Amino acid sequence: MKDIAVIYSFNTRQTKNAAKEIIKHFGNAVKIDEINAEEIDGPTFMKYTNLILGVPTWFDGELPNYWDEFVPELETLDLTGKNIAIFGNGDQVSYPENFVDGIGIMADLVQSRGARVVGYTSAEGYRFESSRAYRNGKFCGLAIDFENQSELNTPRIKKWVEQLKKEFE
Amino acid sequence: MNKLKSNEINQLVEEVLDSAEKSTVNHTQSPNVERVHSILTTDKATLQKWFYLMVLGRALDDRAPKYLKQAIGWSYHAPYAGHDGIQLAIGQVFDRNTDHLYPYYRDMLTCISAGLTAEEIICNGISKANDVAGGGRHMSNHFAKPEWNIHNVSSATGNHAQHAAGTGRAMKKYGHRGVVICSQGESSVSEGYVYEAINGATNEKLPVIFVIQDNGYGISVPKKDQTANRRVSNNFRGFKNLTILHCNGKDVFDSMNTMIAAKKIVLEEGHPVIVDANCVRIHSHSNSDRHELYRDDYELNYVREYDPLAKFRRLLLRYKRFTEEELVAIEEQVKEEVKQAHNKAMAAPDPTPESIFNFVIPEPYVSIKYPDGTHNFQGPPKKLIEGINETLKAEFRHNPDTFLWGQDVANKDKGGIFNVTKGMQQEFGPERVFNAPIAEDFILGTANGFSRFNDKIRVVVEGAEFADYFWPAMEQLVDTSHDYWRSNGKFSPNIVVRLASGGYIGGGLYHSQTIEGALITLPGIRVVYPSFADDAAGLLRTAIRSRGLTMFLEPKALYNAPKAATPIPDDFEVPFGKARIRREGTDMSIITYGNTTHMCLEAAEKMAKEHGASVEVVDLRSLSPMDEEAILNTVKKTGKVLIVHEDKVFGGVGGEVAAIITSKAFEYLDAPIMRVGATFTPIGFNRILENAILPNTEKIYKAAIELLEY
Ligand SMILES: Cc1cc2nc3c(=O)[nH]c(=O)nc-3n(C[C@H](O)[C@H](O)[C@H](O)COP(=O)(O)O)c2cc1C
Ligand SMILES: Cc1ncc(C[n+]2csc(CCOP(=O)(O)OP(=O)(O)O)c2C)c(N)n1
Repeated sequence: MKDIAVIYSFNTRQTKNAAKEIIKHFGNAVKIDEINAEEIDGPTFMKYTNLILGVPTWFDGELPNYWDEFVPELETLDLTGKNIAIFGNGDQVSYPENFVDGIGIMADLVQSRGARVVGYTSAEGYRFESSRAYRNGKFCGLAIDFENQSELNTPRIKKWVEQLKKEFE
Repeated sequence: MNKLKSNEINQLVEEVLDSAEKSTVNHTQSPNVERVHSILTTDKATLQKWFYLMVLGRALDDRAPKYLKQAIGWSYHAPYAGHDGIQLAIGQVFDRNTDHLYPYYRDMLTCISAGLTAEEIICNGISKANDVAGGGRHMSNHFAKPEWNIHNVSSATGNHAQHAAGTGRAMKKYGHRGVVICSQGESSVSEGYVYEAINGATNEKLPVIFVIQDNGYGISVPKKDQTANRRVSNNFRGFKNLTILHCNGKDVFDSMNTMIAAKKIVLEEGHPVIVDANCVRIHSHSNSDRHELYRDDYELNYVREYDPLAKFRRLLLRYKRFTEEELVAIEEQVKEEVKQAHNKAMAAPDPTPESIFNFVIPEPYVSIKYPDGTHNFQGPPKKLIEGINETLKAEFRHNPDTFLWGQDVANKDKGGIFNVTKGMQQEFGPERVFNAPIAEDFILGTANGFSRFNDKIRVVVEGAEFADYFWPAMEQLVDTSHDYWRSNGKFSPNIVVRLASGGYIGGGLYHSQTIEGALITLPGIRVVYPSFADDAAGLLRTAIRSRGLTMFLEPKALYNAPKAATPIPDDFEVPFGKARIRREGTDMSIITYGNTTHMCLEAAEKMAKEHGASVEVVDLRSLSPMDEEAILNTVKKTGKVLIVHEDKVFGGVGGEVAAIITSKAFEYLDAPIMRVGATFTPIGFNRILENAILPNTEKIYKAAIELLEY
């Protein structure tokens, strides 16, 4: 498998925890670079074929600033040939109308630039009203709910990593 | 705590799948919004202007508390920091040549972006005489510039939503191409009158953009305690003729694009738009709030991190649109500008104590032909209802800028619950005479907004079907009563509110109230209450020709009563504040108005017949202003005064009349002032109860005898 970039904000609490756990479950079989989303730029992004993006949802369905501020640049990149997996924190009890929207917003963006989004997961076991990450019964990434289902984080992450091992090149 | 069941109610987000096919994806929440602006494409001059306005706004916003600390002023300050994106956008989209803007108390940057200078902002903040919003009369941080159609609005949260709908209605009636932008916080949408406004705006397809600046709190109340939807705009999903756009109010580009789209939709599709802008409130609600009492450090920190100005600055640098030096130069320029503005504002004059009586209410129309509101016209008597109906029609013929609305006022042959407006829609058409929804606050609130469109307009509303149902409109009435004063004479609400009032019809609690006792407590409005057909016609004409708001109370029991019928000159006019002596006398005076005028005349007649007493009956006609001169003259003449009105004695108008007499004509009194009026109870439905409660000829006669014999 080619190298993987895990890009998330180093200033976060929950997202950072999830990222660390994802990396742990990949083990040593593959080289993983951790990159701070606060400092991400196009050239760094373009170096990788396999990318994992940590995209929590903020403010009723918004991307956090560090991603939002990268979007204008992202939109100029040709992401053809890239495999992008997205995990994102959300809170389905407090924000059921926009549960993990960030995953969906980011998936749309990278897909529109030619990337292949991998790591779809079943939406079984979550309860929410609407989500931009929801497509035909699945989320286009891994939804992690620290606030309400933290005990499911580890099994969900483990399963997802196993899936990514197959879907990444 | 995995108690959550599998998801049953998920829905496909179609727009997302659609937009995934387009070359650029909308990463914000408003999928239909065209991306006019972006950090990469917007020209540098525009970006520079925005940055300058935003830095200027924040310099003033951050500086405001210093004025309070130094006891100079600005004692009400609601900081806008965190709302920067949407406020910049509102001001940029607003065009003072075509549009109207209703900002709220947090809209400092909105107003700066719309063109207010730093000096104008500070002069409002420290309440100077040259404050363009209202000469230091309105609370600080309530920015406005009426001559640019940036309206001076109430501090009652969301109250101006109805004015916005009213101005939108006027734009539509006059075929004016423009938009009304109404701005408020998300919590204030909980107010029922905001729902009335949006209901009306969508029903009538009015050109209004309702901007909701959502910072998650109403002071300390989180939005989950306001309404079930996280986005309050989604409460309006079932409303027809409405586009709802969500945007990131912390992001300049998303806010600009959304406001541009909103304006385009209003102008092209001809229906209102709600823009729901997500913001953060970086500081406390206002200087009197301490947000650390209810927000933890985590939250206090992330709202600072989401500072929209800091984000915009980062973007300008990151995408190499500006260098650090260029931005610093702009920041320095702003510092200098604020310093100069501060010096000018500090040197500006304060309002003087003598000025408080300026602009309480506009000067009324002056009658040349009938200066004291009497006439000697001989002709066939006309009923009170005819007097009102014919005067309305005559005034509507005379002035094409007259409009009338209310409940039941216009459906074929029905013209009001008492048919007072019969035939008006047929003659003047549905554009000028039309029905209103059952929303009394909205009826008056839209009249206020409508008359803001231009000063020539005169609106007549049937304020409620019965005066008893006017109470929901009291909120708008109180506010409207301030408008002229609060704006330092810049805006006069030119409205006549007609109300079918009073009892004697067996109507019980909800068809008998007469509410003038509450109304005359309000400075800034006139209250008139005729009891004869000619006075009704004359007062109505004067009211419609005057600027300002007049409450026109109609004693509905007299609409068709022969005793109230009189000859009416076609052009009759009765000035405000002019009482009319309906019967001359020398032994005692009865001062009255409305329904009881006739009872007093009957009692006086009986006194003459049975006791040879000469009783003078003075019909006040106008309660605010009140004819003090006529009151004092009659007291001087007779030395005995009985005050009679249908309203309750306690809290009634008579208390004021009595106070005027005791303080200005005490030495002329030969007996204590007596009063007859309703008991301090509601009005019972059974006629036996009604009779026991309301005054009548017999009760008046008894009191008059007692006074005569004193
Ligand atoms: C102001 C605020 C708004 C949020 N909005 C959403 C939302 O719209 N949808 C969602 O699923 N979660 C939402 N969340 C929950 C966060 O995604 C969740 O707390 C997450 O763990 C934050 O991750 P981070 O701390 O790593 O950024 C919101 C949280 C906050 C504090
Ligand atoms: C009718 C009315 N009720 C209460 C208040 C007191 N008040 C002032 S601001 C405010 C909170 C409004 O919150 P929101 O509409 O969300 O706007 P924000 O101040 O957060 O921008 C309240 C309750 C008022 N001004 N008017």
